[in-house]
Amino acid sequence: MLNPETVSKVLQTAKSGGADWSELFIEDTITSSLRTLNGVVKDATGGNEYGAGIRVLYGTKVVYAYTNDCSEQGLLEIAQAIAKAYGSSGVTDAAGRGGLDFRVSTPAPMYAVKHHPIQTGQREKLELMKRAHAAAWGVGAVKTVDVMFLDYAQKMLVANSDGLWAEDERIRSRLYVNAIADDGSNRATGTAGPGASMGLEFFDGNLPEQTGAEAARIANAMVGAGYAPAGKTPVVIGNAFGGVIFHEACGHILETTAVEKNASVFSDKMNQRIAGDCVSAVDDGTIPGAWGSINIDDEGMPSERTVLIENGILKSFMVDYVGELKTGFPRTGSGRRQNYTFAPASRMRNTFILEGRDTPESLIKQISYGLYAKTMGGGSVSPGTGDYNFTVVEGYMIRNGEICEPVRGAALVGNGAEDLMNITGVAGDLARGQGNCGSVSGSIPTDVGQPHILISEITVGGRS
Amino acid sequence: MNFENARSFVLELAISRGASVEVYAMSRASTGIKAFEGEVSEFKLSKQMGLGVRALVNQAWGYSFTENFSEAALTRCLEMALSNAELVEPVGHAVIGAWAEPPHVGDLYGEGLSGVSIERKVQQAVTLEATTRSADPRVKTVPYAIYSDGESQTAVANTAGLDRSYKENFAYQFAGPLVSENGQNKSAFEFKFSREFEQLDPNQTALEAVRKSLAMLGGLPAPSGTYPVVIDRDCMGTFLGTFAGMFSAKQVQDGKSPLVGKLEQSIGSSVVSLLDDATRTGGIDSRPFDSEGYPSQKLVLLERGVLKNFMHNCETAAKVGLQSTGHGSRYGYRGTVGVSPTNFYIEPGVGTQQDLISSIDQGVLLTAVHGYHAGANPINGDFSLQADGFWIQNGKVAHPLEVFTVAGNFLELLQNIEAVADDLEFKMGGIGGSSVRVKSLNIGGQ
Repeated sequence: MLNPETVSKVLQTAKSGGADWSELFIEDTITSSLRTLNGVVKDATGGNEYGAGIRVLYGTKVVYAYTNDCSEQGLLEIAQAIAKAYGSSGVTDAAGRGGLDFRVSTPAPMYAVKHHPIQTGQREKLELMKRAHAAAWGVGAVKTVDVMFLDYAQKMLVANSDGLWAEDERIRSRLYVNAIADDGSNRATGTAGPGASMGLEFFDGNLPEQTGAEAARIANAMVGAGYAPAGKTPVVIGNAFGGVIFHEACGHILETTAVEKNASVFSDKMNQRIAGDCVSAVDDGTIPGAWGSINIDDEGMPSERTVLIENGILKSFMVDYVGELKTGFPRTGSGRRQNYTFAPASRMRNTFILEGRDTPESLIKQISYGLYAKTMGGGSVSPGTGDYNFTVVEGYMIRNGEICEPVRGAALVGNGAEDLMNITGVAGDLARGQGNCGSVSGSIPTDVGQPHILISEITVGGRS
Repeated sequence: MNFENARSFVLELAISRGASVEVYAMSRASTGIKAFEGEVSEFKLSKQMGLGVRALVNQAWGYSFTENFSEAALTRCLEMALSNAELVEPVGHAVIGAWAEPPHVGDLYGEGLSGVSIERKVQQAVTLEATTRSADPRVKTVPYAIYSDGESQTAVANTAGLDRSYKENFAYQFAGPLVSENGQNKSAFEFKFSREFEQLDPNQTALEAVRKSLAMLGGLPAPSGTYPVVIDRDCMGTFLGTFAGMFSAKQVQDGKSPLVGKLEQSIGSSVVSLLDDATRTGGIDSRPFDSEGYPSQKLVLLERGVLKNFMHNCETAAKVGLQSTGHGSRYGYRGTVGVSPTNFYIEPGVGTQQDLISSIDQGVLLTAVHGYHAGANPINGDFSLQADGFWIQNGKVAHPLEVFTVAGNFLELLQNIEAVADDLEFKMGGIGGSSVRVKSLNIGGQ
């Protein structure tokens, strides 16, 4: 995208205000998005995100600037602005003139895309969407079906004043179905949205039909459901997207972005017990083709599998470049950003609780009165307090060890650190689900995941 | 190519090819400063521009955008919009027009902001953080102390001859301390927006953020049950922002609003009026025209409980034989044209928040709800949310509550509002809330 001479000049100019380190990130991304409503094509859009971000560090203080003008002149202008900006000291450093000698690292892609989504015609994607629509439309009380297909190819280059030079192309495809069931008096929605760091081959087989059917199944299961009761009860949380609890309640406070400000309850808990024996969890960026996988992070470091918790003991945080400088913990290839408009931060990739020894049935059997949160929606967490909330999309009451009537409209509210100690059972049916995680460095693709788990007590925000 | 040249290039290319096209372009620059422990911890500068093309081919819209302003990329952008249009089902009501002249909307560009030096902005963020940190020994850390400002130009032109643009600027500050006592951590934030630098007082914002956070310490468990609730104005703003989409004609026409078929019906209590006003002087979301170049106006949605209007863009309006209400929106040049609120608010009533509280024997003062992107369903109005608040006993705020949940339905809430206070304030996202008293909501705690 740029030649080494230009990059070298930009990095040196950005540092010339007395900074310790500089980094240039540039991307050329082609996106495409299609939407159908009730089988009719409503939106077809796409475009070209094109820009560069320059980051410089003064100690651990970050100055970041971005621009769409990726010409040498445009980049030098913003590099000069950045050199002047910090504290407006006006100090310039004449030392270090001369070109940088870049070490080019070409990451071995862990997955070879077979059917590039951008080079494929839109009509082929519309066919997949039609199949997903047909599997949801008219099923039970489903009256409205939205289908989206999103894909992109991001060509990126990151280089820094240490001589790092790394390039990659990231490809992702996702199908998303939203089904609304309406029985005349009630409405309920069901969604399913599988995605991968793959091309259209991800949808080979009957994945489009499965996706439509799953969205319709949830909407129909919930349309006649009453409201959940309010109060504290034991909760069994379903597998796959159920892992959003761990993502929100624990994942975010294991990022050095939270740890470095002493704004995480786990800041001083390294190698200490933070969860029951039955809990082990990883953040794994190396699963070939997975939605949250990356060959290299947005700071040019190869991705890795990071063990966060082993048998209840805190083993690692998720650490980016600045996180390492501030906390001393080694980097884990976790520096990620949505695009060039964000400085990278420590973020999750594919984060999940590992298999345990129970079965979903044995967890349910242990409960005399409680909630089975089979399918989860999104949520949020306050990093300082660890207080979280997330939504049960599909829930059932549990009585005397049996799954009973469906209930809806419930939020689960609790505290990440407390809940982690209250996980008393983990089943063996690990699965992952896809999400977009929003935080300081923008919205990024991540997988959440877990087997079925039992938490001894959570506040359920019901209405009856 | 620069901003103006890129716009004309695409428009002229479209005209030369006989295409019907709308060009939406935006150029902006911003500064963001975060402070931590008495120093600047992050400093962010940006210059961004981009251009979105919407092409009308056989009554179908196709979209494309680019941030690359080379001649080749701009040409590719136009061609992509044209070919995307061929995939889309014709709508039958699509129009490109040279709409009426937009109204004058005051105070979009504060003259006092452009001349402020970087040093003063840095000082603003540092003072914000320092005052927050030193306001009370129970402040453990200050995760959020942010000053940000920027300016932008938005331009809409089309092949029917419309060509208009406006400039605006903004500045805001945001403080969020973490306070701690007896092992309990709490955090609340305060946000202040202005188009004039001098109107941002860092000490005031800092002290208010600390006051709000400290007030939550010493919380007792909330008893589960159904109670009368006073919703604080900021929190009411959150509810309004979460459910404003119900009043979008697009949501109604797509079968995604529970208000389908309810025009001219009473859907709320007679003390509730909801309005949207993009022409409001000094409003965060004020603008002379919408994303289609259509003139802005003030619109009554709910008048004393009766549903009077939906928000429309040109296409949703044409579909039902109406005129647009100037609520065409897009998420920047990347997005497609939809319908969104601007300065959306509940008309203030009479009395203070305390007046609302004093008539309650046992109940809850709700000050914030969290997780509304997931825990609230605009399709049917249901919500179940994490909440912060206080217990009300004998007409007075008695003590803070530990984290609890509040659940209900937004339409039932509108019907159950018994009184609205005279304390309207606009916060983030342009939404204006007033404190209200609600007959009952479900509280989940102990």
